[in-house]
Amino acid sequence: MKNQILAIVKKDIRGITSNHRMFATLLVVPIVLTVLVPTLFILIMRFAPTESPDFQKLLAMLPLAEQNEDTFKNMLRLLLNYMLPTFFMLIPIMAASVMAACSFVGEKEKRTLETLLYCPLSLKQIFRAKVLAAFLLSMLVSAISFAVMLIVLETETCLLAGFFLLPDAKWLLILLLVSPAVSLIAITLIVKTSAKAQSVEDAQQGAVFLLFPVLMLLVGQFTGVLLINAWLLLVIGIVCALLAVLLLKQSMSHFKYETLLK
Amino acid sequence: MNAVTMNSLSKIYAGGKKAVDSVSLSLSQGEVFGFLGPNGAGKTTTVKLLNGMLSPTEGSTSVFGIEPSQNPEKVHALSGVVTEHAQMYDSLTGIQNLIFYGSVFGLGETESKKRGMELLEQLELSDAKDTKLAAYSTGMRQRLSLARALIHQPQILFLDEPTSGLDPESAQNVHSMIRRLSAEKGITVFLCTHQLRYAQEICTRYGLMAEGRLIAEGTLEALRSRIHAGMQVKLKVKNMPPDLARRTDDDTYELPIRSEDEIPQLVQQIAGAGGQIYHVSSKLPSLEDIYFTLTGKKEELPQ
Ligand SMILES: Nc1ncnc2c1ncn2[C@@H]1O[C@H](COP(=O)(O)OP(=O)(O)O)[C@@H](O)[C@H]1O
Ligand SMILES: [Mg+2]
Repeated sequence: MKNQILAIVKKDIRGITSNHRMFATLLVVPIVLTVLVPTLFILIMRFAPTESPDFQKLLAMLPLAEQNEDTFKNMLRLLLNYMLPTFFMLIPIMAASVMAACSFVGEKEKRTLETLLYCPLSLKQIFRAKVLAAFLLSMLVSAISFAVMLIVLETETCLLAGFFLLPDAKWLLILLLVSPAVSLIAITLIVKTSAKAQSVEDAQQGAVFLLFPVLMLLVGQFTGVLLINAWLLLVIGIVCALLAVLLLKQSMSHFKYETLLK
Repeated sequence: MNAVTMNSLSKIYAGGKKAVDSVSLSLSQGEVFGFLGPNGAGKTTTVKLLNGMLSPTEGSTSVFGIEPSQNPEKVHALSGVVTEHAQMYDSLTGIQNLIFYGSVFGLGETESKKRGMELLEQLELSDAKDTKLAAYSTGMRQRLSLARALIHQPQILFLDEPTSGLDPESAQNVHSMIRRLSAEKGITVFLCTHQLRYAQEICTRYGLMAEGRLIAEGTLEALRSRIHAGMQVKLKVKNMPPDLARRTDDDTYELPIRSEDEIPQLVQQIAGAGGQIYHVSSKLPSLEDIYFTLTGKKEELPQ
């Protein structure tokens, strides 16, 4: 049984990675968010005047340990420990929508869904395989993005300012709780809507509204209105995880061949 | 145990269309059953009911004693299904597809590959095994679908229009494969087709469907006796006496008779009335003749 589910997982992941267009889509957002944006930010901070009163006001609001340190270092800390973490909620949502192409509606478009349904797995098991494939890929993308981001960021700060920047403990929460939970919500929503949707685009729209709270959180970091801290992340993480489990349970009980094949 | 049992099986679609109407039928193991009827007769719907893709509106059905609406995955483990809507992955090669479906059916990778290669060989697809499916012709896809349906050595094959889109030679190959499977492995075959002529070559028993209803069922002999037909005589006669037979062409005529014994008398009658006979032949009614007789689409035989 496990091998049968794994066969579907493997096929779905390979289906994305062997398709150049989809693989590129999968890479582009993480590269922009974790390499391009921070690099631009660092360059601007380094070479543009940052002594304006607005900037100083923002800095004063930040719960930074060493308020008396130089602005550049503080800004980098803001970047690494406040802005970038929110990106790791965007990345799994994006990865999940790319995987929509392999979910039920994607198979329906390719006319392979009926064939898959004739296999000796229950709908629940197929659903689980689909969710698992998207989840694994999304976590893989997140992990690689984190590694790349850290390497790029450390190299840049080291070269430009001569110090290393430490990611704080919040990152653990982000990578191990919030990011997986958000990913699971997005995937479940997409796989679920994809059971009824008639095109991949329809299914992807199911996850679009998830972007709004994340974008609000991101704006919160820029304006200092709602700064993330470990507690907030823990709450977000737990709420998202509970929501994910609930959604997963609820959608699994609703599956029928008849609705899928419509 | 019956391979398939249907008890007053009915399916009404959400829109109100009654696609299958109280069909009762049973198939023994090893039969090659032809489920025949024109487009829209309800054949595909029946296959979906038998595989649990649809739930019956009324009645019940079982496949090897398992109720498909309750335990579809158990039925799927025993059955291989070929339908026109069940396609495979264009981005994978022929053998990659077979390995994938083999694994999904619980075979190990090496076993899937071995089985896949054998089936590709049998279906004359070995040369295309490393070609992506996107480059396959309709006929090749159809044969690969058959290979896919056989990968887990099913007990029963559901073939929904398996030769549509095939050239006569490929269709012939598929037919001989079906015959071989049933003869050597004892596989039960449920073959749906609107091409009645094809079915007559390979099936052991038939069910004739019209507008969701099973209008007749049995072996070819049983169906022939059902329409009281003996046979059809074909004549070529100049100066045919009027009203004796139906004219099909210039000097050719057709006429139903009960048995060969009636031919001498018929010939004498025509000759006696001054007809000049060039040709006399007789043939037993085909499935098509039987179908059209039963559905009243052509004139009925005189009782
Ligand atoms: N999903 C569906 N919803 C409503 N009507 C359907 C559906 N599928 C098939 N039908 C109708 O049911 C009847 C039987 O269809 P089908 O079983 O596909 O026939 P066949 O396979 O013999 O051509 C047809 O009139 C068809 O239009
Ligand atoms: Mg059909």
